[in-house]
Amino acid sequence: MKALAATFFLLALATPLWAQDALFDDMGGQPGINKLVDASVDNYLADPRIKDVFSESNIDRIRAELKDQFCAVAGGPCRYTGHSMEATHKGLHLTNANFNALVEDLQTAMDSCNIPFATQNRFLARLAPMQHQVVTR
Amino acid sequence: MKKLLPLFLLVPAAAFAADEAHTVVQKGRAFRPAEVNINRGESLTFTNDDEFIHQIYVQAPGFAFDSDERNPGQDITETFTAPGTFEVRCHIHPKMKLVVHVK
Amino acid sequence: MRTYTGALTLLLGLAVQPAFADELFDSGKLLATGGVSQVEGAGGGGLANWALITGYGTRDGIGANVHYTAVPLPDYTLQTTGVAVGLFDRLELSYAWQAFDTQDVGAALGLGRGFTFHQNIFGAKLKLIGDAVYDQDSWLPQIAVGLQHKENDRAAVIAAVGGKNSVGTDFYLTATKLFLAESLLVDVTLRETKANQFGILGFGGDKHNEYSTQFEGSGAYLFSRRFALGAELRTKPSNLGIVHEGAAWDLFAAYFFSKNLSITAAYADLGNIAIENDQHGAYLSLQAGL
Repeated sequence: MKALAATFFLLALATPLWAQDALFDDMGGQPGINKLVDASVDNYLADPRIKDVFSESNIDRIRAELKDQFCAVAGGPCRYTGHSMEATHKGLHLTNANFNALVEDLQTAMDSCNIPFATQNRFLARLAPMQHQVVTR
Repeated sequence: MKKLLPLFLLVPAAAFAADEAHTVVQKGRAFRPAEVNINRGESLTFTNDDEFIHQIYVQAPGFAFDSDERNPGQDITETFTAPGTFEVRCHIHPKMKLVVHVK
Repeated sequence: MRTYTGALTLLLGLAVQPAFADELFDSGKLLATGGVSQVEGAGGGGLANWALITGYGTRDGIGANVHYTAVPLPDYTLQTTGVAVGLFDRLELSYAWQAFDTQDVGAALGLGRGFTFHQNIFGAKLKLIGDAVYDQDSWLPQIAVGLQHKENDRAAVIAAVGGKNSVGTDFYLTATKLFLAESLLVDVTLRETKANQFGILGFGGDKHNEYSTQFEGSGAYLFSRRFALGAELRTKPSNLGIVHEGAAWDLFAAYFFSKNLSITAAYADLGNIAIENDQHGAYLSLQAGL
């Protein structure tokens, strides 16, 4: 058991830290992120699985907050000043199926923005742990 | 205090004297009640009994305010200093609407 | 025959599911995160068992699938047909029916040409801790324990080659992690087993008749949402005096058409099988389900 844990720990350490800030540029900087947010929100609103989650929300406000948040997550020169993932999603009682549907829509948007798959995964790797705060059901 | 609120809402608004606070509850991303009658100079206390963060604003020619955000469990009080009919809304949840008739 | 009927019934049942069942079979997991079907019917790679629970049911639902695998080797053909269910992304149950056709070697051994061994393999896997997909901020892998209970129908032949039992159970501990930032999936599995060549020649032998700890592992690189290339290694015990058994390995490509269909093609080297060396050849597997 300890050997298994140690193996995975060492593999995780193998990721060089300097690669983190390159992600913002690899996603096209703020213009690329803005385009991605707009494309992905369009996908969420068209997705029968999750569009109702947004039915009471201020979509313009969400677009603006996501542009800030994605910039910060990708290592760009932004500070996300919105509320915590837990506070903003708690009342929605989201499931893993809801979360995964959003991920799929985001992947489709990243495809349409011509973000290479490897770069997509670097970004998703930073978003994935948000599942712990966003999914409450 | 919270146990008294439902009884509070049953009493007709006209029975209150000026400067008294009335309570509106934010729950289910809606205002309860959805419509109130108050006198000029009176206040409304908005209690966030919801699972969402809310704020409130009014944007009208004769009267306006734009509040800070309030977490679940928090209150905010606003005084209505102008007569007329106003819509209280939330920037975060555009479908929320409270109609306030101020005499 | 019974296996085919069972698999067909499952497929028909999935096709005519009533409306409420749409929520239970939520197909909510991300593509490829149920793995494929390994050679003994569990969710995993081709040779290795993984900690992923088969199927696309999230923790709120159920996933199920059927699979067919063919491994034409120089002197034999191995075929597996199976069905597996993933319950609430926590428990996996599987049944596989394996047919090992000895073809000409059967004739050479005096068993008759096309002499076939069959195994019924019943599997159960329980996820203990961790989530391979979501835990990107942690070194903790997804960890599961499981067993595969195997019953071989050629007890007499097994005894004749030195095997001690025609029935055996493998126990395993498996850890799987998706290093998403590197597009890399890694699995490490430890298996307690007495199986001779996956159970084809029974369990335990004249040389060694105790459980031994074997290793299996996979590494796969994700090229797209649908396509992965990987390699696997699986060690095996050497319990029989008549043959030295080595490790098996494969290089595989898995393509996920959708959440309903995937195909895995591999070049597999199973080492020595039933006294014939260099059993390497193609491995082809189809999985259909939800």
